[in-house]
Amino acid sequence: MAGGGQAVNARLGSPPRPIEWLIERILVGADSQTVIGDLHEEYVEAVRPRLGRVRADIWYLRQVLSLVPRGVLRQGRMRRALLAASLFTLGSCCWLAVMEWVLRHSGYLFRSAMDVSIAAVPLATVAALLLHVSARAERWLWAGAVALIAVGAQTLIQNTHSPHFEGFVFLISVAITVEGALMLLSLGRSGEGTHRLGRGSS
Amino acid sequence: MAEFLGTFEQAVLLAIMRLRGDAYGRMILHVVMNSLKRTVSAGAVYTTLDRLESRGLVHSRVDEGTPARGGRPRRYYSVAAAGARALNESHKTLSEMWSGVQWPVEVKR
Repeated sequence: MAGGGQAVNARLGSPPRPIEWLIERILVGADSQTVIGDLHEEYVEAVRPRLGRVRADIWYLRQVLSLVPRGVLRQGRMRRALLAASLFTLGSCCWLAVMEWVLRHSGYLFRSAMDVSIAAVPLATVAALLLHVSARAERWLWAGAVALIAVGAQTLIQNTHSPHFEGFVFLISVAITVEGALMLLSLGRSGEGTHRLGRGSS
Repeated sequence: MAEFLGTFEQAVLLAIMRLRGDAYGRMILHVVMNSLKRTVSAGAVYTTLDRLESRGLVHSRVDEGTPARGGRPRRYYSVAAAGARALNESHKTLSEMWSGVQWPVEVKR
């Protein structure tokens, strides 16, 4: 009991655990602990006594979010390209799903469900790249990558042979295919042993 | 060829010089905020430190942590010879740009 009480006391005045968990996911690398330690020290010694708990927590969250671009910059070119492709397809799928609901043409329910399920893959990829998911969760990304390539290629062929060629559909299908290919390449490299998706420098 | 330094990079390098042996992330952030007189995010300072280190303008070493940091280590920074040269060059360039102009600048209407 005494040990538990000490642990609780040690955490009192410390940064909120969920946000600490977030920063530990965002910052992976040799110096992650030094940066987290700096923020912890500033929170405990300066910010919390000066601002109080709620405002100090907001300050801490802002600092953590300000470190996201640094996490992205420290990733390799291929992973940055994958992140850009994922964000593009994620935005496109959300936009398509919203448009389906607004226009409500026949079969819109099926198509919006498809849009949402396709959006799940880039969403998972963005989370994997920024938060450094476990190797176990990565197995699902392999399946997602293959599915993306299949959907992207099929849409690309269909749209090219369609009498009503649509430029936006063409762009999205290319982005989806590229994203799937980049995912496969990244996952293939991470499977070589030293890196996981979102970690390392390749 | 001389290194080109932005204002923020100069602020970070000068903060490291002012702090001497006590230049680690948190203290650098404080000094940079004081010298620029505005709020600065930790992300901006660490990204700049990464860039300066990759350009060989600063060196760093890791030291032991303290209880206030949850036992996490500290990374101390020092200005490298190339960093000092770059600062001198920036100061010289700025002085040359200002030569012949009276400060504070006034515009006659």
